[in-house]
Amino acid sequence: MRLSRMALGFALLVVSGFVAAPAGAEADAKVLKDREALMKQQGADMGAIKGFLDGKEDAAKAEKAASDLPETMKRIPSVFPEGSGGTSPGGKFATKPEIWTDWNGFLAARDTGEKKSEALLAAVKAGNKEAIQAAFADLGKNGCGACHGKFREEVKQ
Amino acid sequence: MRRLPRQVPRRGQAIATALAALFLLLSFAGAASAAEADTVARGAYLASAAGCENCHTDTAQGGQRYAGGPALSIPFGTFYGPNITADPDTGIGRWTDAQFLEALRDGVRADGANLFPAFPYPSFTGITDADALAIKAYLFSLPPVRHESRSQDVWFPFSWRSLVSIWKLLFLTEGPFQPLADRSAEYNRGAYLVTVLGHCGECHTPRNWFGAMEADAFLAGTSAGPDGKKVPNITPDQATGIDKWSEQDIVNLLKDGQTPDFDFVGGAMSAVVNDTAQLTDADRKAIAVFLKSVPAKPFGGKG
Repeated sequence: MRLSRMALGFALLVVSGFVAAPAGAEADAKVLKDREALMKQQGADMGAIKGFLDGKEDAAKAEKAASDLPETMKRIPSVFPEGSGGTSPGGKFATKPEIWTDWNGFLAARDTGEKKSEALLAAVKAGNKEAIQAAFADLGKNGCGACHGKFREEVKQ
Repeated sequence: MRRLPRQVPRRGQAIATALAALFLLLSFAGAASAAEADTVARGAYLASAAGCENCHTDTAQGGQRYAGGPALSIPFGTFYGPNITADPDTGIGRWTDAQFLEALRDGVRADGANLFPAFPYPSFTGITDADALAIKAYLFSLPPVRHESRSQDVWFPFSWRSLVSIWKLLFLTEGPFQPLADRSAEYNRGAYLVTVLGHCGECHTPRNWFGAMEADAFLAGTSAGPDGKKVPNITPDQATGIDKWSEQDIVNLLKDGQTPDFDFVGGAMSAVVNDTAQLTDADRKAIAVFLKSVPAKPFGGKG
């Protein structure tokens, strides 16, 4: 009796494990997809601003892209819920565990990114290309690049 | 009465001569110090191109400039870039020009000991005298910092400095850099920046069992880069390299750290980009021209 109850409990555990695992994996897959989409959106915004600097895009498009950046910066923590480490759907990059072991550091890197994106937006609104180029490079290197350096790694082939 | 007019001009002449001499002397000194300032400025530029600070300044720990670097761990041990300020006791303040050149070219320290090739002399060996000494002049123009260099933590048998002599016999091809006569000046400038000063191959080229760069896989990337990181293939290979990148794409990356798909590089390369951002547009373009013309290799050189 006792044994069978244990067996039943064990069986339930196993079954629930099987049921839960795919559901968890699906949730993870969604987070990974959302994360990549958010990063790609930021990339596209930076691309539009670069396009404006190179004379390939108009000012209105650059301003729209620049105003998008501080908003997407705010959404970054929402696409990095705890335990959602993994490889990007594109297969190129993976999260480093430091995101969650040093969550405050991660948030600080994000804050830096948001501040620098605000500075870029201000520069784009003011319209001086030299100032835009400087703010663009600053955000790219010390916002985006700094965070990627600390919290992201390339997947080995 | 008659002597006076003669004396006056004489005295005047003497004063004029003295003034002229003084002026000449001052202007000569001025020219000399202007030339010196030029050399120092050129040295600062070249030090950026060579990325000296990345290994010789511990930026993350707030270390002083060039007073010693952070840990660099490679398969043969953990290395710490030593103090290269002009401090006479803990830095290189007593080094002569010849000794400085010997360190860069032949991997020999001022006291005659072998330097480990974690210091990229297999690349720096091609440096010109003028460039090396401009870098030295720049380093010596900065405040000397008294700071003991950390000892290197090297795995046996690589830890035997004397064995490095054998390693050099096998793997060190001493310079100087030879420009190719049938290539453009831009290509040759790029080749010098990539293969010598920028020492790009030191991270981007896979290494053999003895830690030497595999010449036939130059810039093909490796999964065993510094700190065990993957380093990408930067040859124009279609599948794994930068075949799709335009010269402008490479220039953009070196300037802002931005890739063609609008990603921003992180890790060790972001520190490199801080250096390449200091270069002139012409030099970044030269690097791009050279990179687009190296032989395409699959990732890691194999396949």
